[in-house]
Amino acid sequence: MNIKLVARNLGFILLIEAGCMVPSLLIALFHHEGDAPALALAILITAAVGLPLRLFARPQITNLRAREGFVIVGLAWVLMSVFGALPFVFSGFIPNFVDAYFEAVSGFTTTGSTVVTDFERMPMGIAFWRSFTHWIGGMGVLVLMLALLPKLGGRTSYLVKAESPGPSLSKVAPRMTDSAKILYVIYTILSLLMFVVLLLCGLNPFDAAIHTFGTAGTGGFSNYGQSISAFHSPAVEIVISFFMLLFGTNLALYYALFNGRWRDFFKSEELRWYLSINAVAVLLIALMILPEYQWDVGTSLRMALFNVATVSSTTGFANADYTLWPVAARAVLLVLMFCGSCTGSTAGGIKTMRIALMMKQSKREITRTYSPRRINVVRFEGRGVDEQMLHQISIFVFLYVLMMLIGGLLISLEGLYDLETNFTAALTCISNVGPGFGAVGPAGNFAAYGPFAKIVMTMLMLAGRLELFPILVIFHRGVWRRA
Amino acid sequence: MRILLIGAGKVGRTLAENLINESHDVVIIDRDEEVLRRCEDTLDVMVISGNGANAQTLINAGVDQADILVAATASDEINMLCCLIGKRLGAKYTIARIRDPEYNESQILLQSELGIDMAVNPERATALEISRLLRFPFANNIESFAKGRVEMVEFRASAKDAVTGCRLRDLSTRLPGLPRVLYAAVERDKSVTIPTGDFTIEENDRVYVAADPVTITHFFRYIGRDTHQVKDVMILGGGRISYYLSKMIVPTGMHVSLIEMKPAKAAQLSEELPQVNVLLGDGTNQLLLEQEGLQNMDAFIALCDRDEENLMTGLYASTQGVNKVVVKNNRLNYTDLIPKLGLESVISPRQITSASILRYVRARVNGSGTKVEKLYRLLNGKVEALEFIARKGDPYIGIPLKELNTRANSIVAVIVRRGKVIVPFGNDHIEDGDNVIIITCERGLNDLNEVIRK
Repeated sequence: MNIKLVARNLGFILLIEAGCMVPSLLIALFHHEGDAPALALAILITAAVGLPLRLFARPQITNLRAREGFVIVGLAWVLMSVFGALPFVFSGFIPNFVDAYFEAVSGFTTTGSTVVTDFERMPMGIAFWRSFTHWIGGMGVLVLMLALLPKLGGRTSYLVKAESPGPSLSKVAPRMTDSAKILYVIYTILSLLMFVVLLLCGLNPFDAAIHTFGTAGTGGFSNYGQSISAFHSPAVEIVISFFMLLFGTNLALYYALFNGRWRDFFKSEELRWYLSINAVAVLLIALMILPEYQWDVGTSLRMALFNVATVSSTTGFANADYTLWPVAARAVLLVLMFCGSCTGSTAGGIKTMRIALMMKQSKREITRTYSPRRINVVRFEGRGVDEQMLHQISIFVFLYVLMMLIGGLLISLEGLYDLETNFTAALTCISNVGPGFGAVGPAGNFAAYGPFAKIVMTMLMLAGRLELFPILVIFHRGVWRRA
Repeated sequence: MRILLIGAGKVGRTLAENLINESHDVVIIDRDEEVLRRCEDTLDVMVISGNGANAQTLINAGVDQADILVAATASDEINMLCCLIGKRLGAKYTIARIRDPEYNESQILLQSELGIDMAVNPERATALEISRLLRFPFANNIESFAKGRVEMVEFRASAKDAVTGCRLRDLSTRLPGLPRVLYAAVERDKSVTIPTGDFTIEENDRVYVAADPVTITHFFRYIGRDTHQVKDVMILGGGRISYYLSKMIVPTGMHVSLIEMKPAKAAQLSEELPQVNVLLGDGTNQLLLEQEGLQNMDAFIALCDRDEENLMTGLYASTQGVNKVVVKNNRLNYTDLIPKLGLESVISPRQITSASILRYVRARVNGSGTKVEKLYRLLNGKVEALEFIARKGDPYIGIPLKELNTRANSIVAVIVRRGKVIVPFGNDHIEDGDNVIIITCERGLNDLNEVIRK
């Protein structure tokens, strides 16, 4: 392990984070709610740690290997969350550090689970920072670093691989730097578009910005306790549903669209799977909840669409308390929590591509039991998928479920709530959705859990956002050996 | 520029590394997923899996935006097909690796009919490089400029050389008959300097000198190097390089002994190369080498398939007193190691191939706007030699060089005026239409005005 190289890169990431806090400071200064000193202090501390690392850690070997790449990504996310928690602590809004850390991790990993109960007391600067972490975490900080820092050396693909969601890396340009820039530009354009549409729907600029960050990063933090239902506006609900699904799609596909390659967009097999799964879920749930909404088809469809989008895109906004829905409808949402969205999107979950490939692989294994000699190559996006990738995906899904179960077990050790609450809390954390079922549903929150359960949940959130391996690697002794 | 590379073999990979270092956008197409995965992990490239001769694969790789398409798969036919299809689909320039001697004979026809802008034959290029080394046996490395009128030659200074240990400024008074050459660059302990008058050459420095070929020969004779022409050459291994090399050097009067292990191959070579003394046997057998007169050879060239055999027999030959030993080594990892063993002339076909393609690519880059005629990288890329043509009306025309400001770490190395080579001193000046060769440690210069100013 080349510690100095890791330290140098972590230093740079902290500097970027300090930079990212500046807009929040400006808002705090503008609104005079007393949170400006806290943000300023957090910026100073973050920069004061980052700058020396950046300046004085001078590695002799600058070649980035797989192990350094993964460790940088894993540690970067932990560190970012530690420093990202500082404004909450200093402002006194979330005085307990573990709570603040939970909130920061939930922000960066775009989970959106919250420990906040008194939304009215939240200062605007802090609220802005809390939601802005969604926007940064959605695309990834290392991708941002690559976009900003062209001369990082050749082997940056490990960084991007470790941070980008999905089993395959979608590069839109030959150079990693250009690719990172293009993706950030698409991300920014779509976010601006959404911001403008929300303004047109009558939201004030601050609320529009907060909910754009929450949607673009597929995070789900709101500055209202009632989340989206606070607006009482079907138009806003429909706009946000649409954009949640949009940000749950592979952003590289929009690049194809911008370039006029319409066919690439509509021929994407993953997108078709994703849209089909969502369409089926919306129809099923709309049918099941019809009685709840006095047989009003329009309202049921809107509710179903919003909640399917919020769960499948792993955003976690709420316009209704789905824990009050019939158990059949809740079951559909629970299944969607596993699936998540597309490769290369800002969302969490197992990802549609992995689900699709697991399905195809399972079908092949069934065929193989009665026809052992049949050769059957699994095809996806019009071409054969190699066996190694299928193997990795199987392991990934196993580890994903395993970690969720262990997480649920550890959370239950505290003795609070029931099985439904604790296990869906673990699932919602690892899938980066936000709300779970039971006491952690859209109307509840995570404040009542003790520090141990919260730390477990932060690990689950980080593991889910980084797709397990960068976090697991940190705990593997072999990676820390000198060589 | 956007460059499409089909085939990520040895040459493809080396080429990709070099192209990325020169900030080109590289897209690699290959059929082997494993190879692609390795490329994606270690190089900043985009990879596409598929057959490069398939139009759809090429379209997916963005062939219509490609400035240059390089086809370097194992098969000549696929390479040609890639170029043909690639050109039709909008690639601006195409380069194909074509190694079969049979295609070589109809190369011009093939190139024009298939839209191939450059055909690279690694074995032929390697043989050409070796033949140049045999013409200047005292040189480790040779580059030619201005259509061969200027040669830049690398040698390792020894204590016996007359120029060692004397300030360059004092050379003309100390050694009045010394032919006038330019000391272009010196590498000492891995760092490179462009020497000024106060510089002193020391033992073991790698020195580049430049002048016209005749003066170079005079220079080496004067400083006490053996400049005898190579007459007897022993070649180990009967591969394609050996075939091309024999064809090149036999007509210049060299006598070639070629050792080949396989009887059928030896018989075929003997039939194709009647003037060559073809020997059947194992080249690592020292007895055989001695019997065939290794000690009396002027040059020994090891071109077996296995790098290790080449190195070992090469070392053996140099201990037996052979003056010029050239060994083929295709594994670049050892480049730094081999000179320490005492073998100076190491030839790597994949590097030669990738260098010749790179030279073509650079010429295309410069063709689009800048004014560099030719660009060479010396000493592992630490030094650049740039060839410019002086233009009418530029401010430096007609002014003696000593009155001009020359950029730091750069020198005006050679001026070629109407076919005459001038190694310039302070009183010389540049006229319009001169070919001017600049040596510099800096990267990215592309205008003569950046180097010399009034």
